[in-house]
Amino acid sequence: MNHDNHEVKKDAAPHAVCMRGITKRFPGVVALEDMSLDVRPGELHAICGENGAGKSTLVKILSGVYQPDGGTLEIGGEMVRFVCTRDAEHAGVAIIHQELALVEELSVAANVFLGREKRTALGLVDDRAMAAECAQLLESLECRIAPDVRTGNLRVGDQQLVEIAKALSLHASIVVMDEPTSALTESESARLERTIAKLLARGTTILYISHKMGEVFRLADRITVLRDGRHVRTVNRADTSPEEITGWMVGRKIADRPASAPRVRGKQLLEVRNLCLPWPEHPRGYRLSDISLSLCAGEILGVAGLMGAGRTELLETLFGAGQSNWTGDILLEGRRVRFLHPREACDRRIAMVSEDRKRLGLFPDLDVAGNVSVCSLHEALYGGLLSRSGEDALVAGSVRETGVKTPSLHAPIMGLSGGNQQKCIIGRWLLTRPDILLLDDPTRGIDVGAKAELYTLIDQLCRNGMGVILTSSELPELLSLADRIIVLAEGRLTAEFSRSEATEAKIMAAATG
Amino acid sequence: MPPHQDSFRQPFLLRRSEWALVLAIVVAVGLTALLDANHSYATRPLESLRDIARNTALLGIFALGATVVIIAGGIDLSAGSMIALSGTVCATTMLALAPVEMMGFKPVGPAVVAVACAASLLAGFLVGTLHSWLITAIRLPPFIATLATLVGLRSFARALCESATSALTPTKSALVNVADPLFKTVRDNVWIPVAMFGVLACITWLILTRTVLGRHIGALGGNEQAARLAGIRTDNVKWFAYCFGAMTAALAGLFYVANESVSAPVNQGRGHELNAIAAAVVGGCSLAGGVGTVPGTVLGAIFLRVVIDAVSKIIKTGADVYEGLIVGIVVVMAVTLGQVGQMAKGGRKLLPGSLGLCAIPTLAILSGAIVAMTAGPRAGASVAGASVVLLWLLRAWENSRTPASSM
Repeated sequence: MNHDNHEVKKDAAPHAVCMRGITKRFPGVVALEDMSLDVRPGELHAICGENGAGKSTLVKILSGVYQPDGGTLEIGGEMVRFVCTRDAEHAGVAIIHQELALVEELSVAANVFLGREKRTALGLVDDRAMAAECAQLLESLECRIAPDVRTGNLRVGDQQLVEIAKALSLHASIVVMDEPTSALTESESARLERTIAKLLARGTTILYISHKMGEVFRLADRITVLRDGRHVRTVNRADTSPEEITGWMVGRKIADRPASAPRVRGKQLLEVRNLCLPWPEHPRGYRLSDISLSLCAGEILGVAGLMGAGRTELLETLFGAGQSNWTGDILLEGRRVRFLHPREACDRRIAMVSEDRKRLGLFPDLDVAGNVSVCSLHEALYGGLLSRSGEDALVAGSVRETGVKTPSLHAPIMGLSGGNQQKCIIGRWLLTRPDILLLDDPTRGIDVGAKAELYTLIDQLCRNGMGVILTSSELPELLSLADRIIVLAEGRLTAEFSRSEATEAKIMAAATG
Repeated sequence: MPPHQDSFRQPFLLRRSEWALVLAIVVAVGLTALLDANHSYATRPLESLRDIARNTALLGIFALGATVVIIAGGIDLSAGSMIALSGTVCATTMLALAPVEMMGFKPVGPAVVAVACAASLLAGFLVGTLHSWLITAIRLPPFIATLATLVGLRSFARALCESATSALTPTKSALVNVADPLFKTVRDNVWIPVAMFGVLACITWLILTRTVLGRHIGALGGNEQAARLAGIRTDNVKWFAYCFGAMTAALAGLFYVANESVSAPVNQGRGHELNAIAAAVVGGCSLAGGVGTVPGTVLGAIFLRVVIDAVSKIIKTGADVYEGLIVGIVVVMAVTLGQVGQMAKGGRKLLPGSLGLCAIPTLAILSGAIVAMTAGPRAGASVAGASVVLLWLLRAWENSRTPASSM
């Protein structure tokens, strides 16, 4: 796509978005401080920053979810004050949230027109007219979704297109995308990029929030970097490099991970033979089919695969957290096991960090200490009762080992950044002293700096003799961490590579094959 | 870092909202002492105290059970019916073991009483087991499962009472009189239920704060899926929670029988489950689960009973007539006051748009009617008028400050 034509029309028209001195405070934190931002009409303006840099707060202010404590906001040259999301919609701002805001039980068309339903002459809901217009919108996005499908049945990538169709139906002149590819497969991301090109061709202004440098540098006209709630700088894409941007994001140079010396493989811990997991209600008939793998102490086994390939199902089956109607053999140190509950897996020294931190990992009402100690409370018992100091000592050790940054062991867990929350959960499992650690996409939604720290931590654990199975949506992560990589496609194991054989191209070919 | 500098640590004694409840209790007692024309707090302090203490203890015992269930992320709507069933099981067991003494209003002996009480607690355990089976194995939502037992258990208790009396006594009866001196002792010595409440509160507090099980209860209520994936046997934790809920209700049922010297399954404990939930909510429990404390619930129960007592003293009617109204108002006020700070910050309004407009006359009519019934029509009319004016001013003030707060 050619962005140069967008550059031409700058300065003539008023800014699409103009923020001056926007400040937003929450109890104890300043989420945005004196934030100023100009977005030119028709450009794709990327906003980069680590988690906690204030990106999401910025989006919420633009969409009327939050009201800023100070500063002014202009949309298309007009001063606006958004009290609710409806105000933002009226001003032509549409938001594609990171966590999609669709009603799963409603049809696609009903979601697109939610709150603005078309009526017949009798005042009844006119499903036919909505379906027709929705079909048109979806077609213009070159996506083949029937407007009468239940939204919950769609894949995440398709749901996102429904959100974009909704933005189009609102005639939004400004579309804000908050980390839109965080849950997409590579092919879905490519389709999204084509959609973005179409939006830009129509003259839509796009604010694109992301910390993936690849897509930012493919798409953006200009890039703004935020750090700690402040504007660091705004630059033309042509005048900068990914290294420079990530440097500004973290405020320091990221030291390259030391070229890892080869790890020493120990004895075999786990062997899986011909594992099949049926899925009767699906045309494919299985979630996993004929999977065989092995894991030794002191090695990292990477599991690559697109979304829906069965990565999570594989780990959940090994951990006893999924359905138990699988067939095949799982051998733990040579003995057949069939876990019916995660407890049984824990007792055999297996630990699993699940992919969706918020939904499957965190206890929002417990503090940092409570979240870390929950699996090993029996070690803090004195005379049958929990000892506060015993628990604190346990947690303090774990927090030190994983490098969690928290103001206090008793701070609310939800106040920590995503990276620190993830470290807390890994620390929770390290306290159980597992032999096998299952990590399901552990760096999802984590900022660059914290990712590097997690890599070091995982590498260290492995060198200390733990066997690690790691899934990831980001291939470079697997390529740099794993000793061996297996590739899943639609529930089948399609390839296995050693570290030296594996390349992104080979893995992608196997994952789509 | 030294613990005393750690501002995130939970305070040792009570949280801020709980201190506010203590203050509210003191204020309610003070107002009653001032406004009560008979000055019964001054003239008969012991009697008043005994009254409130007994009622608080009876409510508090099963409110503690409700608290545990709510923190575990569930709800138990059946406590009132469990109270009736517990009383019936106790009375019919005694009737079966000692029919002559029971019919002759004579002592049945401590052994029989002990067996009868144990049978009641066993019934509580069985009902708790039934609940957790329905919820974990059949996968009914807790609301549905305990709604079924709310209606079902009372009916069961009545049927049990009628069939037991028709089999063991000359006439079928809807109630069984309990005249054993042990029960009379409990009735006449208020300290017994109060001590039981105190001991039970301490045990519950210990379980919730200082045991692995208690931590797992909070984890389950906060995030059930994460709890399972952390290796917690969530089904067993739920089993404990629902059994604790039902058994505390069973225990309360025994005290109700003692208090009224009769087991009457038609009406005993009717509607009490909601008072227990109200006490927990006023004490800071979140119905979403994961949040709540024992001191909160204890204070919530005391506050509810103090306010109910205050109203019955001040307007001199039976407490039961206004009880439901008071509980309703107190729950709404407690939860609203807990949110006022957030509302002001988030720019949320109490009286937004046309709904707020219609809420003004609704609230005015409600307050006017209540005052009219208690203090006469003229007072009612003026209260209604004053409410309209005040709420209107509040709405105007909210509307005027919104734009200012948004920028």
